[in-house]
Amino acid sequence: MITNRHILAIDFVIIVGTLISLFFVVGYVTPLVISPVNGYETTNSSVLFEFNNANLILLDDNPSFTSPQEIFAEDNLVINLKSGVYYWKVQGPLSSEVRKLTIVSGIALKVKSLGEDSYEVVNAGNNVLNVDIYENDELSGSVVLRVDEGKEVSGNKFVGGENEEN
Amino acid sequence: MKKISLILLFILLATNVFAIGITPGKTDVDYNPGTSREIEFIVINTDAQDSDFAVLIQGDLNESISVSEVSFKMLAGESEKKLKYKIDIPNSLSPGLHKGEIVVVQLPKKSGTGGAFIGAAVAVATQVHVFVLYPGKYAEASLDVLGPDADGSVTFVIPVTSRGDLDLVRVRADIDIYSSLNEKIDSVTTNQIEIKSGERKEVAVVWKGDVPPGPYRAVATLVYDEQTLKLEREFDLGQQVLDVSSIVVNDFSLGGIAKFEILVENKWNRELSGTYAEMQIYNNKGEVMADFKSPTYDISALSKSVMVAFWDSEGVKAGVYDATLFLRYGSKSDQRELQLDVSNNRINVIGIGYVISEGSSSSLFSNPIVVVLAVGIVLLIIVNALWFIFLRKKLKGRSK
Repeated sequence: MITNRHILAIDFVIIVGTLISLFFVVGYVTPLVISPVNGYETTNSSVLFEFNNANLILLDDNPSFTSPQEIFAEDNLVINLKSGVYYWKVQGPLSSEVRKLTIVSGIALKVKSLGEDSYEVVNAGNNVLNVDIYENDELSGSVVLRVDEGKEVSGNKFVGGENEEN
Repeated sequence: MKKISLILLFILLATNVFAIGITPGKTDVDYNPGTSREIEFIVINTDAQDSDFAVLIQGDLNESISVSEVSFKMLAGESEKKLKYKIDIPNSLSPGLHKGEIVVVQLPKKSGTGGAFIGAAVAVATQVHVFVLYPGKYAEASLDVLGPDADGSVTFVIPVTSRGDLDLVRVRADIDIYSSLNEKIDSVTTNQIEIKSGERKEVAVVWKGDVPPGPYRAVATLVYDEQTLKLEREFDLGQQVLDVSSIVVNDFSLGGIAKFEILVENKWNRELSGTYAEMQIYNNKGEVMADFKSPTYDISALSKSVMVAFWDSEGVKAGVYDATLFLRYGSKSDQRELQLDVSNNRINVIGIGYVISEGSSSSLFSNPIVVVLAVGIVLLIIVNALWFIFLRKKLKGRSK
């Protein structure tokens, strides 16, 4: 004979069982984001994204993700980024939380002597570089260098700064 | 004798290279008249040599900036030095952008015999930008065209910065699309948003143009409250694809440098600039044991090009290794899963599949785990519904 107590016990088992199952299902499909941590700042333009339960990285310059860059990745991935502030999340069956990442601009100028007053200027930083060239303290020209790019120039003073249009 | 010559040559070469770094490259400071702010920056002695430096200030904010040190010395073992500058925000700056530059000059060395300087002076600058808002409503915007995606759709994105001291209440853009014959073929309207003073937001719209490949022109009229701003951008329709034709490694010996020659084909009708290849090689635990890249290449429309990347195989044993080849171009990143059969004098590259990574729209239910979980949830719903709607009432009725 089934009594009211039995019915309440079955109610309890079904409700608790359902809640436990849902807890595990949601936990299982929620992406686990490992790195970079929220608010991470670096001058290194290569960033390792580590995560589980996701296959798509969304990157944008605003937290609303209005025009995100979408990168499909089955596993962890190193992405080269220009300097700036980024918001990112990963997507699998569910979406992860949004994290912020900052690539701090680093300016680095390398000058190699090639002979009398002839030099190769190389952008060794992580940003597009504008190099002003001076000849005896008079500005004689300027060159724009992409990351790792080098150009042969003449002069005796070279000033590197972030390219305005970058 | 040969050794001494080599050392002398090394010293000569070393002194012929000058290098210096600075971070950050630029700092934006809010315009708060009468206030001051201290900003730290780092000078990096990339040269690893004893060097003397001087710090100069230039730009239209030069009279408002003072630095913690105007000259300093760094020793060979000192990799970086932290400095500060203070900016006193002037009370009366005209609307618009104002700049200052803190220039760190690596002074040329003096010759051993006389007092003359030898070599070039190398300098790097960290910039400070102060933007003074315009009176009233003022919008700065640009038009970006993203895509086309795999389905041929193009996204028009207009980042808008409210540069006035009043908020922009209603911002939207009407975009007309013209063919190469200057015929208007379609019009679309973006979403409408509010942008507060000093904020940057985007309006966007996706256009699914059922039109043949070729060059097109988008003319956007940004409408912000009672004012308008015209923006134009040319774009191409056609699929942007970089395909791998072959990968070869010639003249390889285990322990040496392997030269990967990756022949790629640009199947798009426009040049792809700044493209490069990156390869990751995994050990038998699935960990990345090597990660190397090619230089960047500009590949002309509908043409082939060889990308070269080098791998130092020192310490690597013969065997078969999993690898992933990434092709990076524009905002895309395609990947190809490979196996490298490494023997004593050759590397055989085995391709086992190709994934167009970006833009591949994976449906939620293409993942078998999701299907299993969805079935589980449906079962839970059925069990709950059966119990609470039917069985429970039936059993309760019997128990009475």
